[in-house]
Amino acid sequence: MAGIKALVVLSFSGAIGLTFLMLGCALEGYGVYWPLFVLIFHVISPIPHFIAKRVTEDSDASSSACQELAYFFTTGIVVSAFGLPVILARISVIKWGACGLVLAGNAVIFITIQGFFLAFGRGDDFSW
Amino acid sequence: MAGFLDNFRWPECECIDWSERRNAVASVVAGVLFFTGWWIMIDAAVVYPKPEQMNHAFHTCGVFSTLAFFMINAVSNAQVRGDSYESGCLGRTGARVWLFIGFMLMFGSLIASMWILFGAYVTQNTNVYPGLAVFFQNALIFFSTLIYKFGRTEELWG
Repeated sequence: MAGIKALVVLSFSGAIGLTFLMLGCALEGYGVYWPLFVLIFHVISPIPHFIAKRVTEDSDASSSACQELAYFFTTGIVVSAFGLPVILARISVIKWGACGLVLAGNAVIFITIQGFFLAFGRGDDFSW
Repeated sequence: MAGFLDNFRWPECECIDWSERRNAVASVVAGVLFFTGWWIMIDAAVVYPKPEQMNHAFHTCGVFSTLAFFMINAVSNAQVRGDSYESGCLGRTGARVWLFIGFMLMFGSLIASMWILFGAYVTQNTNVYPGLAVFFQNALIFFSTLIYKFGRTEELWG
């Protein structure tokens, strides 16, 4: 267990990421809340990893086809979270400034999620 | 003059052991390419919603490319060689036929996207962006398939 310090740092960076996202929606010049849909991508991004962990009982091998497919889909979810704001800005549903803030928030939140896996992922038993 | 680059070696970086992570890197790169291709197409469909600008039938190429991606990557190289313990539901010959059909679909979609780009856009003097989007979607899915299929080694599977 990596401890309290990692938890505090990760929660701080998560809050910063969410702040960027909310700024992209709520600032005076923007005012539309469509960018909040990227939260769906944030929530589902760890799921392929957990499914692959659950399905693969044999942990001797350094990799497996299922784990690689999980990496593939996780990467896809991350790319989609970056693609959605760009498309919204391209058709002027949101402004480009809002798009920039949402992309920055995405980057911070995904780094936070990856940080969670690095700090707390080793040796946990994934009992639901 | 011949062979003057034979003794060239890339600068060594020993900090990370790339051999263990080769499969993960290949999967991530393939994921980036595949989904970037799809988002390019989604972008074109959203920015050019009218059928005169981009005929909705052009989505077919991307769908068949995606189907071909999953067909090609559903069989492992061990199955095709006949090396694995259980023979799978189709056996070795079935795996080869499946892979063959998958590659045919992939190449067919790629050629179709090129045809669409040149036949429906470049020669017609209209805005060429939707045609480029169709082509890039299929080209990126094609390269993603190659990287996912041949960039990973099955020795890491134990």
